[in-house]
Amino acid sequence: MRPSAPPAVDYKALVQDDRIHGSLYTDPRIFADEMERIFRRGWVFVGHDSEIPNPGDFVTRTLGGEPVIMVRDGSGAVLVLVNRCRHRGTLVCPAARGTTKAFACPYHGWTYDLTGALLGVPYPGGYEAFDKAAHGLVRPPRVASYRGFVFASFAAGGPSLAEHLGRATKLIDRSCDLSPVGRVELTAGWVKHRCAANWKMLPENDSDGYHLGFVHMALFRTVRTQYQRVVGEEKAIKAVIRDWGNGHIEIDWSPGYEGPFEWLGGASGPAVAGYVAAIERRDGPEAARQRFLEGPAHALIFPNLFLGETNIAIVEPVSVNECVHWHTPMLLAGVPEFSNRLLRMAEAGMGPASFLMPEDLLVAGRNQLGLQARSVEWLLLGRGLNREQVDAEGRAVSHVTDETTNRALWRHYRTVMTDA
Amino acid sequence: MVSDAEYRAAVEFLYREARLADEARYAEWLALWTDDGVYWVPATTDPDADPDRHLSHIYDNRARLDTRVNLLRSGHRYSQEPASLMRRLVSNVEVASEGGELVAESNFILAELSVQAGHEMHWWAGRVTHRLRRVGDELRMSRKKVVLVNAAEPLPNLSFLI
Repeated sequence: MRPSAPPAVDYKALVQDDRIHGSLYTDPRIFADEMERIFRRGWVFVGHDSEIPNPGDFVTRTLGGEPVIMVRDGSGAVLVLVNRCRHRGTLVCPAARGTTKAFACPYHGWTYDLTGALLGVPYPGGYEAFDKAAHGLVRPPRVASYRGFVFASFAAGGPSLAEHLGRATKLIDRSCDLSPVGRVELTAGWVKHRCAANWKMLPENDSDGYHLGFVHMALFRTVRTQYQRVVGEEKAIKAVIRDWGNGHIEIDWSPGYEGPFEWLGGASGPAVAGYVAAIERRDGPEAARQRFLEGPAHALIFPNLFLGETNIAIVEPVSVNECVHWHTPMLLAGVPEFSNRLLRMAEAGMGPASFLMPEDLLVAGRNQLGLQARSVEWLLLGRGLNREQVDAEGRAVSHVTDETTNRALWRHYRTVMTDA
Repeated sequence: MVSDAEYRAAVEFLYREARLADEARYAEWLALWTDDGVYWVPATTDPDADPDRHLSHIYDNRARLDTRVNLLRSGHRYSQEPASLMRRLVSNVEVASEGGELVAESNFILAELSVQAGHEMHWWAGRVTHRLRRVGDELRMSRKKVVLVNAAEPLPNLSFLI
């Protein structure tokens, strides 16, 4: 008797406009579908080119669960290679980062150059005719970058990176243009924070403005932060959330900021004089003033890149109930005088010992435990449906405590998971 | 070389510090620090790690140490509510004298039961360097550096006192 195929998941039924089904966080079949449809076929953030400044520099990552290497080749191009020897499947590059001239497999000595081309197969007499050109390290068919942010897709076709990012490039611009030379540098190393929850909890939480005063009550009661005014009375809150399309979602704190550099914990005088002058020269005084007020983006670039204000974060799915949150400070090229402060802000804000994320990841873990209760099927997603608006640029926008961002994420998810 | 009395004082300090951290006796633990204390947990095992160039798990000056402890004492640091149940072993203690301070290096293994959600047992291990300064008739720590064996790996919550 032939085993019957498992029924396909009905994502349209599970993802509704104002509620989502709990199994989306707990069903291993759904996780497998997501790895295929979101993390292999879609555009996924791999790393930033500043992490590998010189030929031979590499970092290793996962893409849809696959081990990959992001490397700069001899010509200076940034490539993504699948980290698997073509002979017997061994990882050819076990290190998290480094510099090399070639990738040599430790098992039988097969060696690949920085472009993944197979250089040598020891004892070639064992093959009648061996086509080395056909046995290089596999590359995802599409790799593209925007302002140094490198993305890859295992699908040969589909929307281009530019189409996927759409107008959300403006969010990346907002962060990068804080550097007088327009470049961020992710060179301080990453901290990896293990989360006992489904990966989608992290992008949802990163763009959730409702939880701050509750999950982070300790911080708000202990020290003054730039988020203080967001935990006040509902009608007094000016910060908003926005849907940028394609699952890209934003919290914009800046309507609540009263002065420049609040996103940097406040700065004035000689500490920022050189920086202010450089940006004013480039943008003019009025645009510069606006930039200092607004600060960097707080936004998710679907599915796994989080522009976390002065941090950059990656969401790495591990299994249906485990993921890893990576973060590094977003250092600004041309402004070395900010680096120390950005490092200390990164340690305060994100990571397992920080003052914010341990609570976020604890709650994510508790969500995962609570969702084991199958007698309740649905999670609510309707907050703010009564008051969200569409702005002049066609983006849904609402009060920062609303779920416009969650809905935008899930709407895109439903499209990706049901596309032919 | 340090005297037997200095060695014993350093070891007793390490044991006491470990016990206060294990038992979430936050105010007493904070009182072990000098006013210029630095608490450093690098995010790498690389001995050349530089907190001014590389991201750390923790790089607290005294003001941030106070904040860290104030959070823990607030009753709302939910990742430590209730506090993890912990016991650590401190061993392989070597003590040297440097610039008027004692420098104690030690290894530790810590069993941490994360009672806030999953009730998982987390095992932590590493090498600790304490700088100990005599203030009045007590030793205080002016620096504590904790190099975790798995510093560069994905770590669960580390909001207790490591």
